[in-house]
Amino acid sequence: MQCKSCNTELPKHAKVCPKCGTKVSDKGPQNLKVIAIAGAVIAFIGGLLPFVQNTGDIEIAYSFMNIQMSFFWYLYMIALVATILLCVAKREKLSIITTAIAGVIFAVSMFVSPFLEYAGRQQVKGGVINKYNNVMLGNLLSNGEYTLGLGFFVVIIGLVVAVIGVFFDILKYFKKEINVDAKYMTNSINKSVWSMIYYYRWFYVMFLPAFIFVLIFNYWPMLGLRYAFTSYKITNPYYIGITHFYEMATADIYFWTAFKNTLYLSIIKLILNTGAAVIISLLLHEISNIIFKKTVQTIIYLPHFMSWVVTASLFRLILAPSTSGMVNTFLAEVFGMFGGNPSNGIFFLGDPRYWVGSYFVINVWKDTGWGTILFLATLSGISPELYEAAEIDGANRFNKMRFITLPALTNTIITVFILNLAKVMNLFESVFVLMNDAVYDVSNVLQTFVYYKTFGGGRPDYGYTTAVGLFRSVVSGLLVIICNYASKKVRGRGIV
Amino acid sequence: MSEIVVKKKKKKFKVFPLVNGLIFILISLIILLPMWKVIVDSFDARAGYGMLFWPQVVTVDGYKEVLTNAVLFKPFLISVFVTAVGSLLGLTLSTLGAYVLIQYEMPGRNFFANMLLFTMIFNGGMIPTYLVMKNLHLLNTLGSVIFPLAINVYNLVLMRNFFEGIPGSLFEAAQIDGCSPMGIFFKIVLPLSKAAIASIGLMFMVTFWNDYTNFKIYINDNSLFNFQIKLRSLVMDNDIPDVGGVDPNTVKNAATIVAILPFMIMYPFLQDYFVQGVNVGAVKE
Repeated sequence: MQCKSCNTELPKHAKVCPKCGTKVSDKGPQNLKVIAIAGAVIAFIGGLLPFVQNTGDIEIAYSFMNIQMSFFWYLYMIALVATILLCVAKREKLSIITTAIAGVIFAVSMFVSPFLEYAGRQQVKGGVINKYNNVMLGNLLSNGEYTLGLGFFVVIIGLVVAVIGVFFDILKYFKKEINVDAKYMTNSINKSVWSMIYYYRWFYVMFLPAFIFVLIFNYWPMLGLRYAFTSYKITNPYYIGITHFYEMATADIYFWTAFKNTLYLSIIKLILNTGAAVIISLLLHEISNIIFKKTVQTIIYLPHFMSWVVTASLFRLILAPSTSGMVNTFLAEVFGMFGGNPSNGIFFLGDPRYWVGSYFVINVWKDTGWGTILFLATLSGISPELYEAAEIDGANRFNKMRFITLPALTNTIITVFILNLAKVMNLFESVFVLMNDAVYDVSNVLQTFVYYKTFGGGRPDYGYTTAVGLFRSVVSGLLVIICNYASKKVRGRGIV
Repeated sequence: MSEIVVKKKKKKFKVFPLVNGLIFILISLIILLPMWKVIVDSFDARAGYGMLFWPQVVTVDGYKEVLTNAVLFKPFLISVFVTAVGSLLGLTLSTLGAYVLIQYEMPGRNFFANMLLFTMIFNGGMIPTYLVMKNLHLLNTLGSVIFPLAINVYNLVLMRNFFEGIPGSLFEAAQIDGCSPMGIFFKIVLPLSKAAIASIGLMFMVTFWNDYTNFKIYINDNSLFNFQIKLRSLVMDNDIPDVGGVDPNTVKNAATIVAILPFMIMYPFLQDYFVQGVNVGAVKE
């Protein structure tokens, strides 16, 4: 965390900046804003869920995604994003207005604008388009086959929570907080916003390339997540409510296997890699010969720079069950396994029984060395006086390791663990290059599941795979937030 | 009394370091052996035999094949091109963006920072990104593999951390002497962050050189595959091009070595830059 006034790095639990004396208020009025933002996010999600649901057929549902005036959805989204932005920018009072606007848009689109009922496809000159019938909410509900859907309640809950959250924030302003006045918080002369913008004009130009790239390649795809709620087979998506999620949860065993495999593979991998890295750095720390230490470091960092394809190729070549495979030949000749013939050897990467083990070994081989960097940096920071004092007290090498080195490492171990835990759902390339059809059941993870389902031949169902991807993104995002919180608790600084 | 202490020390000095040294020699061997085996087989004209740690019939035909056979050489060139262009683009975006992020008084700075950080929490995922590429007509062009990796928020934040290490008094002094913000960037920040730029440039190069996933997803066109894709189909799927009289196994091994050679050569000299990058990333994030 940095001091707001002079940007110096602050000690963990500092109340006052040691350099300039500014009061640190990390638990300022920001905290309750979380409620308002959470409310906006809930309302946002609710906008995607069905407002009206057919009780018989889950695929027939109506929401923002299939109202006749589809720009309402964009307006609704803009209003909610504005709410979040205003909260972040500490203009909470204004965010009440935007929340109210979102509510009005919601009501109008529910009751005034007709919904579109999907009625098959139609050939036109330019290709195929979807055909729709207009239906009104009142007609639907009087029909008897329809009920109010999940989305309706979620949106209302979200909007209410957002408003309540904002009110909390406003109430806070009445409690006088003794804080440094904003105008003393900057080093420069107090200027108006417009003159500041003019002063920094070239910086906006500098940020423009990164801004455009992030917008196109990170934010535009987020907009595409709405396809998770549509039937999108090659072209012409149309809204089908939560069908895909229902299907994922109840019918698709491959999805659950993939989810289980993702968690299993990445968490065991994380534990093994971190454990191995800790042990190796502890031992490496004991080496006193600098040249030997440097050489070992150089060697054990090396595999990190190989791509996963190269690593997979390397192991494919040496694990091959033939006379050219080093491992099987070794087992056959030295231990006399497989009747001395390596061609009968173990197919490490093609046998479900051995694949998981091989995967972990390959991971440890590749990443352990690189993982030691942070631990070694921490170890080199331990004061030698501690060791000297322990020596005088009669501690031997293992006592020193147990009572000085390991406790010093604890914080770093937790940090590394948290940093990597946030990434467990991202598991893809390492599995993707090592898997094959024979080991599909034990190696299929969510990302590879999505990949094969979309690009592995057959007619791609972008809607379903987007739904799986959305599930992954949400779990992954929650993990990052949890890890960020944990990281703040442990080391006083978040990971994002 | 003092004699005893010295004796004790000597005794300790013999056993543990020896064992420890042996452990590390063993670890180094475990790491080097697979690579060594592949190097050996890449120079061996005969079908490799598993327990052989020196080529029997030395030949460079495998390498010749990789560097002359158009099927293998063109992907190599594409890899080089993508790495060069992508790293430059990525470095430009990160450097410019990071310098903006350390302007704490700039209106909108927090918005930009949060906008970047949010992408680390949540992302669209594989399919929506693919659909965006499709809408932009970037599929089957090299743009689809260069652009998404060029904007790397993690590297941008890393660069910002490096920049924050530059003492603020330098900026103030330059400002008082009448240097414009742009002048500060070009005359102070860039010259002082050569190490950071080298370090992050290297990370970009590794990313682009090693990229497999993006090529696999966005590129369907045989003539645009990079070396990693070719290597995978060569070794894992046994898709061996016409290699004349050369043993396919030798070619496979040689291709694997070619894929790691650029970094194997550069790496010992640049190790410190890489290590620096990791430490700054985790410690000062």
